[in-house]
Amino acid sequence: MAAAGLGPARPLLARRPGALRALLGLARGLAAGPQTHFGFQNVSEEERREKIYQVFENVAEKYDVMNDSMTLGIHRVWKDILVHKMNPSPGTLLVDVAGGTGDIAFRFINYVRSVRERQLQQKLKRHQNLSWQEISKSYEKEKVKPLGDSQVVVCDINKEMLKVGKQRAQHLGYSEGLSWVLGNAEELPFDDDKFDVYTIAFGIRNVTRIDLALQEAYRVLKPGGRFLCLEFSHVSNPLLSRLYDLYSFQVIPVLGEIIAGDWKSYQYLVESIRRFPPQEELKEMIEDAGFFKVDYQNLSSGIVAIHSGFKL
Amino acid sequence: MAAAAAGSLRRAGWRLWRGRAGLRCQLYPPQRALHASAALRRASDEKKEPLASSPQQQFESPPTDPQPDHEPQGPRSSYTGQGGQESEDYESEEQLQHRILTAALEFVPEHGWTAEAIAEGAKTLGLSGAAAGMFHNDGSELILHFVSQCNTKLSDLLEQEQKQVQLGKTEKKPTDQFLRDALEARLRMLIPYIEKWPQAVSILLLPHNIPSSLNLLTSMIDDILHYAGDQSTDFNWYTRRAVLTGIYNTTELVMMQDSSPDFEETWRFLENRIADAMNMDNTAKQVQSTGQALAQGLMGAAVTISNLTGLNQRR
Repeated sequence: MAAAGLGPARPLLARRPGALRALLGLARGLAAGPQTHFGFQNVSEEERREKIYQVFENVAEKYDVMNDSMTLGIHRVWKDILVHKMNPSPGTLLVDVAGGTGDIAFRFINYVRSVRERQLQQKLKRHQNLSWQEISKSYEKEKVKPLGDSQVVVCDINKEMLKVGKQRAQHLGYSEGLSWVLGNAEELPFDDDKFDVYTIAFGIRNVTRIDLALQEAYRVLKPGGRFLCLEFSHVSNPLLSRLYDLYSFQVIPVLGEIIAGDWKSYQYLVESIRRFPPQEELKEMIEDAGFFKVDYQNLSSGIVAIHSGFKL
Repeated sequence: MAAAAAGSLRRAGWRLWRGRAGLRCQLYPPQRALHASAALRRASDEKKEPLASSPQQQFESPPTDPQPDHEPQGPRSSYTGQGGQESEDYESEEQLQHRILTAALEFVPEHGWTAEAIAEGAKTLGLSGAAAGMFHNDGSELILHFVSQCNTKLSDLLEQEQKQVQLGKTEKKPTDQFLRDALEARLRMLIPYIEKWPQAVSILLLPHNIPSSLNLLTSMIDDILHYAGDQSTDFNWYTRRAVLTGIYNTTELVMMQDSSPDFEETWRFLENRIADAMNMDNTAKQVQSTGQALAQGLMGAAVTISNLTGLNQRR
């Protein structure tokens, strides 16, 4: 998903910080109950799920174009950093939750392929006196298994997003080691202790019960597995934060209207970013779910953050 | 006057060394014990179905090789937290990390000092390879772990030797022999990894690794000199350490180039360098005593001359 913050929030934040905080506290306190928030509105959990489904149904077609235009393409860098941080070795099983259009999945496949190639080259270098046949044989083996048993499962709750992702995969020629599953992050359709890495990029914000999603992440990961979450976060630099708010509340909905013909969905995006817990709070939530060695890395001064944790 | 100066020097040196010890603790900061969250997890496990092979059972066994060298010496408040439960049956995050690194050493000859080796090591412990993400990508933690493990082994070895001497079972070795043997024993620990050791040295020399690697190096040299019976409190304290560090490092470089059977060339080189150092020590002493004699002679001459010229006459 993509970017940033909002007009109405600015005056609210500036003039009545106490009121806003109370409101936020209330909303979070009620998250366990049926009431929750949708952007800056309070709605029931059911309603929220429906609304979010609609948002992504509406934007699915234009999702990638919008991401590029809203973040000026920087979202690609963020995702690259995420995969680089993951540093998957051949054989890694990845589940990318809320990864509808396959951005993370394709990057993962590319990364594993290149690691694999490098390993093969090193191997060939080590045995310098290999015969012709042996070399061609190893390359053949490579062709059969360019990913070395690595697999990525893309799980998304939204059919439309998955459809776009599948189309992209076909278009870009990814097929092997890639599967698409329709599923809710709050109750993943997978067995326990199955995956090496769980990623959720710009998705956890739209999950109604974040605590449930984190518990599920913990459940499906193997011991030693890693949880990685890329999500919009909070900018600490006051000057930058002001600019960022201006951009997100004044520019993004307009962009949304022009490019995707949908003001409301992008208004929601921006609002939901403001409602999402800041870095430290999310870190605590991840720790509460049972993860160890939880830390986060701010990217672009905290516009987004990568949280990482391990199941030990 | 001179004694006082030496005393203050020694105290300064001691403080420096103490500071280093403190630094060593910071290198391995006491981390949140697994215990707290393990208890949490247990609670959540009870809510769900019981996991057939709960991972914590695997980790409950005490660490295979305790390494007092880098156990943080500070109090571990987190250890006794959480409902006053005894936490001995839980392994701390840090101990688990050490176990992963120890397991990873086995794969270093094949994969080098890399995240891949750590991933393979984690797999042997029944963990996912993704656990390698806990460590820096450059493998520096693996190398530092290896170095500190070797240092611990060496100081255990030297301690045993010292005990044998104290019990009168073996003769005390002459200092040069002792230093030679200690350095050789330490260098021999690198043999299994010698192919990949140049890589390790280059990683240890990266700016952000220098403080920790230097710290491990100096503590090793310090251990050796301690067991060699060095009790100097003067400036020799520094020179001895500097000389021995130099010998160790140059021999290490020679060793990486050495292709002779069982590294004979290396040990010969080491012996020669130790002999040189001993000679240098003697020469230094000789120069010192010659200098003293010369100074006394000059003083005597001056007094004689002043007497001859009658300047010293009292009237």
